[in-house]
Amino acid sequence: MNILVFAKRVAATQEEELRIRDEGAAVDLSKVPFKINDWDNYSVEEAVRIVEKTGGTVTAISIGDAESDEVLRRAIAMGARDGFLVSSGEIFHDPGVRSRLIQNFIRKENIPFDVIFTGVQSEDDQFGCVGGILGACLGLPYSSMVIGIDAVEKDHMIIRRELEGGLQERVKIAVPCVLSIQSGINEPRYVSIMGIRKASKVERKVFQAADYAAPASAGIEVVRWTYPEKKGGATMLTGELDTVCGQLLGILKEKGVFQ
Amino acid sequence: MSYALIIAEVRRGVFEERNLDSAGIAALLGKEAVMLIPDGAYEAGNIAETVVKVKVAEEVFLNPLNLKNILGQVFAARGNPDLIVFTHSSFGMESAAYTAGAFGFPVVTDVSGYDKEKGVFLKSYYSDKIFGEFKASGGPVVISVRSGSFKEFAVDKAAKAEEMEGAAPVETRTFVEYVEEEKADVDITKADFLLSVGRGIGSKEEIPAYEDLAGRLKAVLSGSRPVIDKMWLPKPRQVGTSGKTVRPKVYLAMGISGAFQHIAGMKDSECIIAVNKDTEAPIFQYAHFGIIADIHKVRDKLKEIVG
Amino acid sequence: MPEQTATRVLTCIQCGKCTGGCPESGKTPFNVRMLMRKTQFKSDIEESLPWYCTSCGACTIRCPRDVKPSEVVIELRAKLVEDGDIPLALQKALENTFVQKNPWGRSRNKRADWLEKLDFEVPHVSGTESKRLLFVCCIQAYDPRCMVIPVNVARLLKAGGMEFGVLGEEEACCGNEIRRIGESGLFEELQEENLGSFTEYGVQEIIALSPHCMNALKKEYGDTGIKVVHYTEVLAKMIAEGSLSFPGSFEKKVIYHDPCFLGKQNGIFDEPRAILKAVPGLELLEFSRSRETSLCCEGGGGRMFFEVESVYQRNAEVRVIDAGKRGAEIIAAACPFCVMTLEDPATEKGLVVKELSEILMEVL
Repeated sequence: MNILVFAKRVAATQEEELRIRDEGAAVDLSKVPFKINDWDNYSVEEAVRIVEKTGGTVTAISIGDAESDEVLRRAIAMGARDGFLVSSGEIFHDPGVRSRLIQNFIRKENIPFDVIFTGVQSEDDQFGCVGGILGACLGLPYSSMVIGIDAVEKDHMIIRRELEGGLQERVKIAVPCVLSIQSGINEPRYVSIMGIRKASKVERKVFQAADYAAPASAGIEVVRWTYPEKKGGATMLTGELDTVCGQLLGILKEKGVFQ
Repeated sequence: MSYALIIAEVRRGVFEERNLDSAGIAALLGKEAVMLIPDGAYEAGNIAETVVKVKVAEEVFLNPLNLKNILGQVFAARGNPDLIVFTHSSFGMESAAYTAGAFGFPVVTDVSGYDKEKGVFLKSYYSDKIFGEFKASGGPVVISVRSGSFKEFAVDKAAKAEEMEGAAPVETRTFVEYVEEEKADVDITKADFLLSVGRGIGSKEEIPAYEDLAGRLKAVLSGSRPVIDKMWLPKPRQVGTSGKTVRPKVYLAMGISGAFQHIAGMKDSECIIAVNKDTEAPIFQYAHFGIIADIHKVRDKLKEIVG
Repeated sequence: MPEQTATRVLTCIQCGKCTGGCPESGKTPFNVRMLMRKTQFKSDIEESLPWYCTSCGACTIRCPRDVKPSEVVIELRAKLVEDGDIPLALQKALENTFVQKNPWGRSRNKRADWLEKLDFEVPHVSGTESKRLLFVCCIQAYDPRCMVIPVNVARLLKAGGMEFGVLGEEEACCGNEIRRIGESGLFEELQEENLGSFTEYGVQEIIALSPHCMNALKKEYGDTGIKVVHYTEVLAKMIAEGSLSFPGSFEKKVIYHDPCFLGKQNGIFDEPRAILKAVPGLELLEFSRSRETSLCCEGGGGRMFFEVESVYQRNAEVRVIDAGKRGAEIIAAACPFCVMTLEDPATEKGLVVKELSEILMEVL
């Protein structure tokens, strides 16, 4: 089984206080560190585990600037055979643009595959769309929220999709297909610095994104960036025990965790 | 004709409450709403002008490949809508993207706001630290809406019932069965509602009473490091840097003062409620709601009210 | 395993002195002597075992053949790190250190936040005459409990009239624990980054707050030509020379816990005691196991970041019970990890744990 895995280098913003620049025109990421998108890390691990069992190859592909080579080295250290960088300095906020770029790249470079993995979403924009749009554009069956792969056969796979409230759905999907992998599908291995250094010796091919750009008549654009409405500190619930507990249950109901 | 097409989210015979948010944004935009729903006895309420029952089984409808064909039929019959609305759920996320790809429509997911004047959709970036205002062009915009964001705008509508035949189901992706998560080993990272107890509960003898409360509230019981250290709760229930990192919808912390290592494991929870008798407990700096009280009294009162 | 280490292991005579001094052997499945034996025979070692080691160094100090068992354990861990098969909590700590340069993954941009608690300015080290650097490191920079240590020490140094500067956000984790977790590649990166800063700003002297950082900077950064000291050494000297004195009084019975990385691994036993003796009113007590035989608190060797599998009585609790028996009211430690591990059981038993600088601030 030959698997293409898409890996994105994203800003690690969880601990950061983000600032908006130029009156809403941009988000300042200049002092933020970057890392592999968490969901893509699970995807790479899952792909590597599958080929370890069934044979075949894993090819990691990243769309981004030259720094994105870092996630390719990491993927190779995890077990990918090849790393392709589709180089672009541009940030694609429209997942449609990103998906069609991938579609053109795969077709133009005639890259063979049985399955394409993407992460369910990326930590930065949380769109969760690239896999779905790509699947539809390539005319392939698609599934997102894949939390388990139970069987891998030549012409189909049996997968599990994560639904709400601890429920899962088992699905039979024909190969070739596009799958978006949910975090938690496996426990990704640790990638040591020594491992990454060794992986650096494997050549990564670089392609220019401009060669695969697809003009689109429809799309979305960001008009402005804004901050969320400010939440103050803790709202203290005060009063008699009865009142306070009643308020507490009210919050639980409002949040939908208690009926 | 100008209308909003709502793709209802249903699951195992239940019409999800989240659909109210889909109806809400259609109303907010002043669009006539047409809602698609599969064959079945759903309590869909009166939230759209027209409810079209597509005569296919639920599992067929919830498959984005089939849905694409159904939507093709709808567009042919009614013309393109202005807006196609999904819930931002496992189903909605998957199908919104696939629909956008299949028809070449623009898409914005996890929409949590709409600015009528500017005509822009508000979408979360970086886990809600920043929001982007998105403008869509060139076709009906596909959106998935965040649960709880628009339901207040939903209004009672005529709910004229219609029916249509659905296209034959595809064979390249088929539903096999539902799988319930194994309950034997509770995974606290998957829980929507955690009741977490700390050193403040005092002794092991208090644990059953909190287990009982968790049961009544349908919460999963977890604990901070001192509780696990003393073996009052098993290790897999530990929240914190040396245990598990959790992000439930509600994290109810009782008797947890909020050591840094603990905070790191739960601070991204959607809603943190802290109960502690110490007004100075650091956890109040991270909580959304706080109660200064004896936790045992709160526990007993909650049990009394819930019954 | 590097040839040197493998050769050393072959000289092991299985005398068991390592196990005898080990804070984990006996009460847990971990047994240093047996690990050396299995390494000699290249037999399989159960994967959970190497993670019990706290890197206290007792085995290495006691070994009559210079096998350096604690270093062998690091090599055993290195193999697991390379295979990518390590406890999840440690994996997170390593990945966090890679991204944010601290094991907790806190924002690097907040590394100098503790400075806001001072009512005077601390210059960047490049702006100092002496090029003397106060090396803060991760736990003191981020943990609210330990953040008082740099604040206190900065005030004490100022009171003693000593000039110093900081690296602020440019400082990276010292890597002491990272090396002990077996991630030598990451250690090298941290070392390279810090050494780059030291060279760029012409750092002449480093005052480390944590004994763990002092150990790495002093003994594992190679021949840097930079003088590295622990802050207790500096304060003890100031007190001896009369530039720092304490007008207040602290009428408490204080027992001093020797941190492994300060005491048994770096021979600093007298300075902390000299400082405590200089506190008016303070009565200094000793543990039944003190100085070279001090019982490890189990905070080292990566153990701050994860819990081992089996559950047993913590050494910190043993320590607190002993302190209580000796009549102590306060346990003093000069290491943030010791403070963190001791505080839990101490609070339960009605004792107070203070980092040494906290006592000094009460009498300054």
